[in-house]
Amino acid sequence: MSDTGATWHEFFANIGIFKEAILAGGLAGALLGFLGVHVVLRRMVFASSAIAQAAALGVALSFWVPAVIDPLGHAAGHVAGPGGHVITSPLFQPVLWAIAASLLATLVFIANPVRLHLTRESMLGFVFLASGAGAVIIGDRITQDAHDLATILFGSAVVVQTADLYWVGAATVVLLGGHLVLWRALLFVGYDPLGAEVQGMPVRALNGFLFVSVGLAVALCTRALGALPVFAFSVLPAMTALALTARIGLCFVLATAFGAFSGVAGYAVSFRGELPVGATETAMAAALLAAALAWRYVGAERDRRRARQSAQSASGGPDA
Amino acid sequence: MPPLTFTVGAGELWAVIGPNGAGKSTFVRTALGLSRPVAGAIERRPGLRLAYVPQQSALDAIFPVSVLDFVLMGLQGTGNVTLANPRAYLGRARAALAEAGVGTLERRQLRDLSGGQRQRVLMARALATDADLVFLDEPTAALDASAEQEVLNLIQRIRQLRGAAVVMVTHLVEDGLERADHALLLDRDHRVAFAATAAAMRSAPEFEHIYARFVGRRAQEEEKS
Repeated sequence: MSDTGATWHEFFANIGIFKEAILAGGLAGALLGFLGVHVVLRRMVFASSAIAQAAALGVALSFWVPAVIDPLGHAAGHVAGPGGHVITSPLFQPVLWAIAASLLATLVFIANPVRLHLTRESMLGFVFLASGAGAVIIGDRITQDAHDLATILFGSAVVVQTADLYWVGAATVVLLGGHLVLWRALLFVGYDPLGAEVQGMPVRALNGFLFVSVGLAVALCTRALGALPVFAFSVLPAMTALALTARIGLCFVLATAFGAFSGVAGYAVSFRGELPVGATETAMAAALLAAALAWRYVGAERDRRRARQSAQSASGGPDA
Repeated sequence: MPPLTFTVGAGELWAVIGPNGAGKSTFVRTALGLSRPVAGAIERRPGLRLAYVPQQSALDAIFPVSVLDFVLMGLQGTGNVTLANPRAYLGRARAALAEAGVGTLERRQLRDLSGGQRQRVLMARALATDADLVFLDEPTAALDASAEQEVLNLIQRIRQLRGAAVVMVTHLVEDGLERADHALLLDRDHRVAFAATAAAMRSAPEFEHIYARFVGRRAQEEEKS
């Protein structure tokens, strides 16, 4: 390694070690990038953040509940070291608790809060705050596992476990496959829900599919990468795509590509610069958005200048 | 709401009028089958095809939806939820756009059009569905006189050439009564629900009661001018 971080040669020489983390970042970026187009267009960008918090609470509970049920066995696991600290019961797999908590959170979006004289946005705030507070309080109770929890919450995971990669890969194939079939239907019910219902579209079922797929994707990706990059991937690539094109089909393609690129390139840059992985992946996605906005601004300025010039030439010159 | 019985026949134009909060939207939702009536029943001819044309303001401008994509949405629904092969429906969508006089706009973004153009595209979607009964929510709201006339001409076309019935929710009482064959009057306190021909509506006591102050205000304004 150099004084300023690892070299690209070192990165490629050791890529076998990080292959799973890079793949997980790319797959999560692609999946969340695609879903993000719906998330951004439906003005629910904080849904993924709230679900990520719920997933983190689920993970915290998966550590805490076994410690409460069997404190001696749990402590013995710590004494035995990392090798001995295994979760024997499949019931307490963090990924399952993350999924369960996320799906519970998505129920809030499927339910109609208007009946309670509340907005969906305020319910998002409720889920975010309650889950965040719960994760911090329970995190305080499980000091021995606090590092694992912090890793999940803030996305500093350098190495992704093989099982997590498989979960993210399976989610990407299944959910992306479903969304490729249903993207027009989901667009219709998001844009004109009343018109869609009149035409016999299964609006509730489609919305349920969208929210559950966002919940599952966020839960699985949060467990693998951490909350920060997951929130970033579900918002920033879609914003970038929407800034670059008004063709809705192309938006989905670009958002998927930008999400995947942010995951892979963000990881590589974090290795090269010895930076936190999740934050670097987030910064990569944000840099793409900033570049897209700059590109759009320059293009708009150029169009305005051309319009002024053609107006001047049509009127016989600048003084005319 | 008091008892109310009426039938919408083929080719008829109905205006649903009433002040804000009178239940016009609830009536439309119920008539479309999206809400159950608290009492009574709605009977539809078997195989009746419905279409709903939303208010322009109900469509979020953040969505990048092209004119052609919007009309293609009208061809989604029962039996064709996914629109897996949109190319197969392009001909129908383009024919509807041409009939609405906006065929040249198919690549434009719906959000970038003028109010009049956008309203005609919204109605083109109803044309594409080949509906027998079309519900229009405030179709002439915020349009200038020229655009309003174009929309009204298109409504006439839907009725006369397609034979479809049109139910139009409007806050423009005079315009509604002038254009429509029939009117349904709803009042804010839910004590009045009155269906009649447009001509009969003008002289109905219920109508005069609800709109007396508006009529009076207009008369005063005319005297001043």
